[in-house]
Amino acid sequence: MPTNRQFINQRDNVISEALEGLAATYPDLITHDAATSLISRAQPTFGKVGLVSGGGSGHEPLHAGFVGKGMLDVAVAGAVFASPTALQVQAGTTLADKGVGVLQIVKNYTGDVLNFQIAAELASDNGTVVESVIVDDDLASDSDNGGPGRRGTAAVITVEKICGALAEQGADLSTVTAAGRDIVTRSRTLALTLDGCTHPGNTSPAFTLNAHEVEFGVGIHGERGTGRVPFAAADELTEQLIIPLVDSLGLKSGQPVIAIVNGLGGTYPLELSIIARHMHEVLRGRGITVARSLVGSYVTSLDMHGVSITLTAVDDNIIAGWDAPVRTPTLTW
Amino acid sequence: MTTTIDGTTARDWINEFTRIFANAQQRLTELDRLAGDGDFGTNIASALRRVSDVLPSTADATYRTVFSAASEGFLRTGGTSGPLFGMWFRSIARAGHNSAVLPELAGGVAGGLGAIQSLGGAKVGDNTMIDALAPASEALSEAAALNLSVPAALENAARASRTGALSTGDLIARRGRASYVGELARGVLDPGAVTIALFFEAGATAAGSPQQWQDLGVNTVKR
Repeated sequence: MPTNRQFINQRDNVISEALEGLAATYPDLITHDAATSLISRAQPTFGKVGLVSGGGSGHEPLHAGFVGKGMLDVAVAGAVFASPTALQVQAGTTLADKGVGVLQIVKNYTGDVLNFQIAAELASDNGTVVESVIVDDDLASDSDNGGPGRRGTAAVITVEKICGALAEQGADLSTVTAAGRDIVTRSRTLALTLDGCTHPGNTSPAFTLNAHEVEFGVGIHGERGTGRVPFAAADELTEQLIIPLVDSLGLKSGQPVIAIVNGLGGTYPLELSIIARHMHEVLRGRGITVARSLVGSYVTSLDMHGVSITLTAVDDNIIAGWDAPVRTPTLTW
Repeated sequence: MTTTIDGTTARDWINEFTRIFANAQQRLTELDRLAGDGDFGTNIASALRRVSDVLPSTADATYRTVFSAASEGFLRTGGTSGPLFGMWFRSIARAGHNSAVLPELAGGVAGGLGAIQSLGGAKVGDNTMIDALAPASEALSEAAALNLSVPAALENAARASRTGALSTGDLIARRGRASYVGELARGVLDPGAVTIALFFEAGATAAGSPQQWQDLGVNTVKR
């Protein structure tokens, strides 16, 4: 008797059926191209910088859920936890080109960086001007061993929101690119999980934990974290995520931040709000102003029962970009 | 002696590469299982299937259309090796038209080596495909400077890349998947480097310099 039953049909059709379902739900916002696994705006805006992002699937609602007015123009979906191919990304980049250049927003993983970079080169040959922002916010993968560097996780939401607002307001490619890179330097994320995730079609999770263990410093590809910590009450685990973020960003009293409490797929909204409650308490206790915050499951790792917290040190301009109107399947205000 | 690579030779080269890769797939997967995540053989095999799907017919085959098809097939493949091979073939394709003379081929191979290095950041000695590709590229350039025939040049390139591939058994990976397992991968040949050697061996055979190349792979795993 399998312990992990799932609502899927054929394993090979998981991504295409999900994208088809999303597009059918929001026909006024997005369009699905089955051949290339692209989701793009139903009504493209010409003469504006195009924003394209993407990567492996399994992180829903990232990336397709952020396509729409005020955020992305195109999202490119790979297989579960696998980069889309260079030719898929090329198609997405070309589609996002509305005459004044394209910004690729890429999470820092070897395959994603490589395939987006190749796609940029191929698209450039056809006349598209391409820039890129590499998002590398995950504090747990911070090391100076000359390896691939910090992974890209939930700060991608903040980058896409701020760049999306600027692009919508008519900013040029270099301005949108610089703003995206600035957000990356201002953002850090840390995650932990109570259980591993299970791939579509598999019957057991990628890793399992004992009842007294918590996997600390996990990424979003179902991989193991940087270590194990004892299971504890929500407030204590929340603190273990926040304090290193505050230290890493050097946040001082009076510094405003945008804070994202992000479920990794299997965490109840009730739990996320409990975590958010204590996050606000801890930051308030240090005099750090939570200027804006978001709580929900936005950058997930299939059904992982975990949470990440992302802090971005902001100023008034960034807050204005965050507040700018957005209309996508996942974020709307 | 042959001094150019035309569409027919290029097609033969790709087909021979596909054939000898199929023979080697099992042991390359075994190498990747020891040092990486075990999907290398399947990935390259599926790339080669995509290549054969778009390979031009004998009538349409030119040097450029054949290697462009190779590039497309690999770029349609995910992971990291697929796109790197794809960009390498793209550079080879762009070096010629209906056919390519040896200096053009050598230029394309060298350009592709540069493209892979700028994308992947690997140098000689990092235990990657570069360890086979760099000496092959050098051998081709030397052969071009000496005005050697295409079959002789490809045979030199094959020997140089084979020596380079064998050298990866003594190296610790600093790039790619194997870099995550460190010492564990010592004694294991890099499957990407072996594949490059197979490619040039296929080229030598297709150009009319057939050799009995001894199997590269599991026999040389030291542990």
